Amino acid sequence: MRNPVLTVDWSLDEPVYEQIARQIRMRVVAGELAPGAALPAVRTLASDLGVNLNTVARAYRLLEEQGFIRIRNRSGAEVAAPAPRADASARDRLRAELAEVLARMRQGGLSPEEIRRLAEREIAALSRARDVEGGGIR
Amino acid sequence: MKSWIFLATMLIETVVVGGFALLYPRIVRKGLLFGVYVGEARSESEEAEAITRGWNRGIVASLAVCVLLGGILSFATPEPYAAVVPVHLQIVAFLVLYLRAYFRARALAPAGPPPPAVAPLDATRATSALLPALTLAAGVACGAFAVAYSWAHYARMPATVPTHFGASGEPDAFRPKSFFTVMLLPIFVLMIGAFLGGMAWLTAHAKRALRRSAERTSLEAQLRFRAAVTRYLCVVSLLAVGMLTLMSVFSVRVALGQSRGLPPGIDVLGILIAVGAVGGGIYLALRYGQGGARLEKARVDTPLTDGLADNRRWVLGMFYVNRDDPSFLVERRFGIGYTLNFGNWKAVAVVLGFVALVLGLAVVAALTS
Repeated sequence: MRNPVLTVDWSLDEPVYEQIARQIRMRVVAGELAPGAALPAVRTLASDLGVNLNTVARAYRLLEEQGFIRIRNRSGAEVAAPAPRADASARDRLRAELAEVLARMRQGGLSPEEIRRLAEREIAALSRARDVEGGGIR
Repeated sequence: MKSWIFLATMLIETVVVGGFALLYPRIVRKGLLFGVYVGEARSESEEAEAITRGWNRGIVASLAVCVLLGGILSFATPEPYAAVVPVHLQIVAFLVLYLRAYFRARALAPAGPPPPAVAPLDATRATSALLPALTLAAGVACGAFAVAYSWAHYARMPATVPTHFGASGEPDAFRPKSFFTVMLLPIFVLMIGAFLGGMAWLTAHAKRALRRSAERTSLEAQLRFRAAVTRYLCVVSLLAVGMLTLMSVFSVRVALGQSRGLPPGIDVLGILIAVGAVGGGIYLALRYGQGGARLEKARVDTPLTDGLADNRRWVLGMFYVNRDDPSFLVERRFGIGYTLNFGNWKAVAVVLGFVALVLGLAVVAALTS
């Protein structure tokens, strides 16, 4: 089994904490990081990547706010299980975020048809990842 | 007879230093060349081999000169310090030849942005810190015991106390009793115990440098190397602190007339520890290679990442300076083992503080004796 890894590309404009958070989100969604899986301590990850402790801590805090991880103690974290059901306020917030992404895609030159195809592809990938996870890979 | 002892000492020191110098280019992580990241392909190019050949020729020539000089000095002067002159010359030659090779290697370094950094998202692969933690505790306990033992007997000691012991283990130099003549050795034991144990603990938490698309292979090789270096430091630390504690306790017993000299065989133990330390270093180099280089041969063509591959973070290929990186210790680019992150002020403060403390003690002892 291949170990999930995280890469920080210095040539990207994307801030380092965003790169870290984005990749962990993708690993969680793809089922490579199962609910309950322990993430490296902030110091270990910062040391491996050669980045500031605050950068990794910021990425972890962002992921916790988004519900992807749980911060267990001062420096450890684990992957959170998906919420069984979104309550009304969470639903409203997520809908607003989706609307913002869709607006950015439209503004970026994608037609409604292209946006729909991309969204369907991503939803299908998400379902496959959930199926694999449910099939007991981890 | 003395000349032969000096000659043998000088020969061993010089050959060990020269031998390590010849070994280093053969054990580095692929992609590195004399402290410079030149890329995996270029590190085996004709230019790279020419630089390595120049290094080998220089080291062999300096080794020959130093051995010849040592032979002349050992018979020309009875001064024992002459035995260390050749090895110091060998070290100077090492530095000069290294800088020459480093600046030649710089011309092969790739242009462009620094390589990406890679980290495993796996929390379970840390090196166990139990052994170094126990080593640190044992070192501090031994040192504290040596200090307490000397202090407890201080009042009963005579006006003069032994300050040096000959090859037979019996004292051959005495000085008037003072706080520093009595307490210097036990305080030194305490500091060495804390320092060596601390370095072993920090080594167990040292930075890892992975290859970009062979994370698993690279990670395992490095973890095995790091664990081996940690064990090596723990064993050396325990033996050295144990021997120094014995010496400290027996120097008090000799002063009190409870013993004629140091315990028999302690000189042999000292030699065995020194030989074991050098032999252990050679074993680590040959078995693992620097950073586990010899264990990752199967998938070695994938590029190194951030920690070792970013030339901007290294000064002269020897000093790693990264203010953002919280690591205390990082893999050396050239040599065996780990070096400080000079961008981490805590790491610099710890080491400089220790060196200042040792130097300060030596100066105060010299002034008060």
